[in-house]
Amino acid sequence: MKNPSSSGGKSYREGFEANLLAILDACEAKETQDTHDDRLAFLDAVRTASVVPEHGTRPTYKIFEAVFHILRLGKSLELIMASYQLLIELEKRFPRVYLPSEDKFKSSSVTPSELVVVKEAWTPFIFSMEGNVSTVGEAADRQPGELLDSSSFHLLIEELAEMLTEANFQATGVKNMLLLQYLVYVLEGDFLPRNATMKWNVQRESLLNMLLGSRKINYKNLMKDCLHFICQLSQLHVQLNTRLELKDSSETGTSLSNCHTALLIALLEVGTNTCVSMEKFLAMAMELDMSRKKADNEGYTTRADGVRTPLVEIILDELTYSVDTVPLFLQVFNDPKWKLETVVQYLWKYIAKPVRTRRSNSSTHDATFSGALKCFSNNTSTKSIIKKIGPDTVQLLLAHGFQAQLSEGYREDNTAGQAQGKAGNLVDLCKDVITAFDSMRSTHEHMEILSIGKEALFTAATIISVENSSD
Amino acid sequence: MTGMDGRLDFEIEDELIKVPEVNKKRKKVIGLDELLTDFYKEQSERVEKEAKRKKERKKKSYEYDDFDRKEAALTRLVEKCHDQMKTLGDDEEFSVWGMQLFGSQKEFPPLHFPELDSCNLLRSFMDNKLNCMVELTADKGDIFLEGLLTNGWLSKLVFLCGHIEKSVSIWVFNTMLYSSKEELQTSACNLWRVILSSRKEADQFAVKIDWFPEYMHLRRALKIYGFLFNFSPTSAPMKIDSSCGGPPQNIRAWIKFVTACCRIRSKISIFSAVEAEEIAQVIICLFLDRLFEGLLVLLDDCMQAVISYFTDQEWSSSCENIAKYIACRVSKDFNCIQAAECISKVNSRSKQLRSEVAYQSLLLCFDGVTNGEEILRSVIAINVKDKKCDLFKMYIYLILTENWLLSDDSTLEEKPVICEMFRLYLKNCSCLISGADMRSFASKIRHRAAYLMQFSFHK
Repeated sequence: MKNPSSSGGKSYREGFEANLLAILDACEAKETQDTHDDRLAFLDAVRTASVVPEHGTRPTYKIFEAVFHILRLGKSLELIMASYQLLIELEKRFPRVYLPSEDKFKSSSVTPSELVVVKEAWTPFIFSMEGNVSTVGEAADRQPGELLDSSSFHLLIEELAEMLTEANFQATGVKNMLLLQYLVYVLEGDFLPRNATMKWNVQRESLLNMLLGSRKINYKNLMKDCLHFICQLSQLHVQLNTRLELKDSSETGTSLSNCHTALLIALLEVGTNTCVSMEKFLAMAMELDMSRKKADNEGYTTRADGVRTPLVEIILDELTYSVDTVPLFLQVFNDPKWKLETVVQYLWKYIAKPVRTRRSNSSTHDATFSGALKCFSNNTSTKSIIKKIGPDTVQLLLAHGFQAQLSEGYREDNTAGQAQGKAGNLVDLCKDVITAFDSMRSTHEHMEILSIGKEALFTAATIISVENSSD
Repeated sequence: MTGMDGRLDFEIEDELIKVPEVNKKRKKVIGLDELLTDFYKEQSERVEKEAKRKKERKKKSYEYDDFDRKEAALTRLVEKCHDQMKTLGDDEEFSVWGMQLFGSQKEFPPLHFPELDSCNLLRSFMDNKLNCMVELTADKGDIFLEGLLTNGWLSKLVFLCGHIEKSVSIWVFNTMLYSSKEELQTSACNLWRVILSSRKEADQFAVKIDWFPEYMHLRRALKIYGFLFNFSPTSAPMKIDSSCGGPPQNIRAWIKFVTACCRIRSKISIFSAVEAEEIAQVIICLFLDRLFEGLLVLLDDCMQAVISYFTDQEWSSSCENIAKYIACRVSKDFNCIQAAECISKVNSRSKQLRSEVAYQSLLLCFDGVTNGEEILRSVIAINVKDKKCDLFKMYIYLILTENWLLSDDSTLEEKPVICEMFRLYLKNCSCLISGADMRSFASKIRHRAAYLMQFSFHK
């Protein structure tokens, strides 16, 4: 792995750092308009020095920490937003891990030697894991309260969930959501290029793997909390609206009475984006599981890697326990690949696996979405599936699975040459969905079709007629 | 102990003067320009002499013992700090930006759902035998369409069919701007953005789009949201209160949609240059309203998209028009600084616009001033030592000048005369105001000017 040394003379950088930090001097003591202005001026100066010029210098640790500190302590929306924006810009400009000259080599497989890791780069995370001595050494002279380890990450999720449960909306809520977005952005920037190398020794060193593998947290609980948080968060607008209506109808102060319009606008926008970030976080954890499984099969994992339950399984367990979460989760989690995987695994958990098929076709066991749809073609198996899963949940799974399959299929559609074959599959898929609903309807005459089921049927029928007319 | 009185008077200079002599490394860090150093030496010597004289006078008149003197000095120090705190507190009423740009909302137009007859998508399904399960009827078309939109089916259908018909696209557009339901706004906005950003080839959408909105539709929406197109510098300053007034939540979708429209000029020009100028002006205005503090990222995106919308031929005149409009409308206090500084320096165009907004604002600050040299001559002529000098205004001028001349590196390189004048101006601000000056904004001006000296002339 390449490790580019820091550029620029040391003394120059030190002087530069001191000059910037001087703006912040004496900031800490009191919270006045002046300190507020100084912090803004500091953020602007950092941007001017690092982001604006074409060959800006990577800010030093101290500067990064000061910016991060402003985000973590920020009480005013202005400072919170400005520091968040700067952190994201710095992240884009000075990535920690990247593939050099991505445009030149567009090869799909990347060898680890091509991956550039800037080891001395600052990160908001601090993991003192065994086998990671360098991080521990650096940790000594860092302020412990500022940076996040696995348990503080979990705490952040818990705090956010609490805010939603208690409907206590303040600028701190916006701050915490932005902090979470930033952390996920950092994890993503580190994980995606590493994961692209397909080499476990590179993947395992990702911040994500260190975060999830830490012994300081209960991995399962963290993931369950993330699941419930994202479901809750997707209902934020409903919550805010009912609060507003309550406030309109009665003069008695609700917790929103001191929440002015600026905060409301910010909360809704930031809330939506945080949902997307959480979705990415979950999808990345699932990707990591897959890479890990592959490495496991090929014998690259060691005892140090420990054992973790795949996230999809944890989610399936959680969904089975609390059926109310199913519609919320399927609504908010839109990563087509992993949504499809979740739906398929959910269905196959309850479908009696045809023994005959496995024997005749031992190499591939058809545990796909289409495979699941085929099981609805005969009445006995349909009956048994509905009995096990419940009529509403079955519809939700089929409709969302169908949509995810359309997204996945559509993506492949773009690759030239296969268009003909795909179109055939598309119509087959639509027909299978219709048959499945037909079959459910005929076995359960009183079954009410949910609106999402109706929409799925409408979509399937429309696609068939369009495909037929264009042929 | 006798040195105490003297030290209090120029505590801040002290540090600065010593720097170059004591430590060469530190000179680089906080040391000021050599010119400044000379000046300070001279000044400090004078002050020191004065202080000594004072001390001697005091020695004669008061016979305090050492302890009492300490106490007196300490009391004085505390009092001074107290006064300083007070003046700092007074600054606050000036030092906040914010304008109220939204009045009361007007009545939203009713959302016309496409008639089934005009909507092929729904009509063609009515005869389908599957309708016994779906139960789609003419009077429930609207609710059904809403479901298709929020649950993501509509975007699947649009892309699989490669077409979005006129009635549907108008309905989605209006839903985005006028629906009160958050999910509908968001889904409608996302659908339009996905369609607009889709591409088959460089200059083609992946979807056949039968209808495009025009600027007048967007402008009308803004009016309905209560945006005051005719605000002026005399408008009442923004007060953040608990009332939940302001624009509807749809404004977020509006901003995102405009951003998407600006990004597709290679495929279609939705706005004329004049219209795009107005959009840029509106966005700068939104930056000035504190209600939008939480939308910094959205506004920033939109600003950059509008700026890059113009062709190279249009840009230079459009840039000036935008700046002139803003300069006329925005009051010459912290708002005009915010108006310039909200434009983040990303590329040469944004730097140019930021510089232009500051320049046009400065032109309006002085009567009869028509060019940059005259501006600098006017600011240099201000006597900062004069007790009547309005340092608040002086601070505004300084920051505006900074934005005008330092936003773009090339501005100063091309104009050596302006550059020299600017240097003189900064020197005035940093040297003529003493560190012990307790007037509001005195230390702010001094520090800012010193910082700019260091950064712009010592690279």
